[in-house]
Amino acid sequence: MGSASSVSAFDDAPRLSSLRAGTRAIVRRVLPDRSGRAERLLALGVTPGAEIEVLQTFPGVVLRCDETELAIEPAVARAVLVDVLAPPRG
Amino acid sequence: MSCPRTAPAAGAAPAVVRLRARPLRIALVGQPNVGKSALFGRLTGRYATVSNYPGTTVAVTRGRALVGAEVCDVIDTPGVNALEGPLSEDELITRRVLEAGEADLVVQVADAKNLRRALQLTAHLAAFRQPMVLALNMVDEAHHAGIVIDTAALSERTGVPVVETVATEGRGLEALRGALADARRPDLPARINGEQLRWAQDVATTCRVGTGRRTARWQEWIGRAVRQPLTGLPILALVLYLFYLAVGVFGAQTLVGWVEDGLFGSVINPAAMSLVGQVVPFAWLRDLLVGEFGLITMGLTYAIAIVLPVVATFFLVFGFLEDSGYIPRVAIFSDRLFRTIGLNGKAVLPMVLGLGCDTMATMTTRILGTPKERLIAILLLALGVPCSAQLATIFGILGGISFWALLTLFGVVTGQIFLVGFLAARVLPGDRSDFVLELPPIRLPGWKNLLVKTGLRVRWYLREAVPIFLGGTLLLWGLDRVGALAWISRVGEPVMTGMLGLPASMSGVFIMGFLRRDYGAAGLFALAHDGALTGVQAVVALTVMTLFVPCVANFLMMVKERGWRVGLAIVGVITPIAILTGTVLNHGLRFFGFSF
Repeated sequence: MGSASSVSAFDDAPRLSSLRAGTRAIVRRVLPDRSGRAERLLALGVTPGAEIEVLQTFPGVVLRCDETELAIEPAVARAVLVDVLAPPRG
Repeated sequence: MSCPRTAPAAGAAPAVVRLRARPLRIALVGQPNVGKSALFGRLTGRYATVSNYPGTTVAVTRGRALVGAEVCDVIDTPGVNALEGPLSEDELITRRVLEAGEADLVVQVADAKNLRRALQLTAHLAAFRQPMVLALNMVDEAHHAGIVIDTAALSERTGVPVVETVATEGRGLEALRGALADARRPDLPARINGEQLRWAQDVATTCRVGTGRRTARWQEWIGRAVRQPLTGLPILALVLYLFYLAVGVFGAQTLVGWVEDGLFGSVINPAAMSLVGQVVPFAWLRDLLVGEFGLITMGLTYAIAIVLPVVATFFLVFGFLEDSGYIPRVAIFSDRLFRTIGLNGKAVLPMVLGLGCDTMATMTTRILGTPKERLIAILLLALGVPCSAQLATIFGILGGISFWALLTLFGVVTGQIFLVGFLAARVLPGDRSDFVLELPPIRLPGWKNLLVKTGLRVRWYLREAVPIFLGGTLLLWGLDRVGALAWISRVGEPVMTGMLGLPASMSGVFIMGFLRRDYGAAGLFALAHDGALTGVQAVVALTVMTLFVPCVANFLMMVKERGWRVGLAIVGVITPIAILTGTVLNHGLRFFGFSF
């Protein structure tokens, strides 16, 4: 992915794209790129510190942040660094 | 003089100017799909299209509202997620309204369920230094989700009056009108982005009472079923099939049968013919009214009997889908496919809307992220997405021939969309944007909005199409009278007969197709009805017509959105594609001996 170059070597936090459906996590940060990906996600409520829940991972990632459900493509999910709160129940 | 009545100044001076040379202008601004248009309708009594997906409103609508004793101008704006940073074209329209000072007062309409996001936008709005009121809309849904907001505390923290509303039911409207008098400039901390985010988070947390842990409702269940592949894809197939049953079978065959054969064929047209025959002394006028290219027997019959029933059924079913929140969920499945043609899943909204009307859908491409995506979407809409009026004629003609004929047409047209899209994605400069789409809640559509919306769209079709059907008929009649139609048929014969394998007399129908492709197809309908076309000829002619630029209105919209050069270039690309595709299809079908 083109965005890989912007990843700092120190960022070993899990990516949103690696989470299984049902996982709850806190957004640590969104990796910026030239197209304004981070700003767009911020405006939708995916801000550092926000809690998200992964609802679905295929064919696209669907997540819930507050009461907003968002569908995003895998490349965008790879740009979201998270701290896992709770793995899927059951 | 008192809109809004300036409240007796207690402390800070009211920010609203007392004396005005013109009406107070109120802009409704807020995130997409929070109910701005519904609120606009309640305030002004003017209907702005209300649907359940982000991006329904892509242009500014204005109306008048009575607040207290004073008449105010109300401006409905396209939804914005942000007013800073990268913005799509519909968001820029709203930003321009604010920048140009087109509003004296801003009502921020917010989804009460998503207070934090709303406050992030409040912070952006504060930069425009306009007096504001915050309307927390959809409080009913918030309460269902267990969210209660302390409006007094929220008003304290933001510095602006806060009211709770349910726009679709008209609740909280009086409170909102009253609060306009107390509109204030927001009182927010420093305008540093990180600071604003923390502020929004902090205020949302302190002013929100209740946890917001939802109970499992049927909406959740349906929402999950339609977006997961295992259940979602069969549901998509089922929805398409039901749609076909409603529009293609019930609308295009049953209803059209009633209206065309029952009403026009056996009542109106015979009556008109006998009346005109008795009353009108001139042969040419009789011909103009009820002849082969007669205003009544052709123009009106096509518009009302063949197309209207299908357009009406289409918009009713389509409105139901729009209001249910289903359509954006299809984007999850279409994303990968659309990426091969330089778009992302979000483009499913304009594309599906194009099935209703390509002209409107061309405007809706404003929600797409980049100029390249907009251009590709506009091109593909014009090339291959048949609008409801045209679906009417396609179903009407090919439905009567065979299912395979229908499948061939849609197969070829879809193939062309992807082929041309694939090439355009590689030839045109620029990038596509990320696929990030907000999924609206699943809702049971309100029948009242559904009926109003369908009624207005049908009325709009009648206003838009009937004049062209009548004017086009007049043109054909004129061309026929002066012998030009025969001349055009002769000139067009190499293409018509040589390449497309169609009777030379079809040239007239293709002229109609240039005016509106459904009008041209309606001409085909008449020919096919009389048995003048073979199955192969019908499929070829309809395929070519479907690939034409939809109508004059669509062409003008392309010019408006993208300029003359792009508009003409699109026509210049599409017309040869349409004719070449028809040629290949014609020879291919004949070579392999298909007859449908």
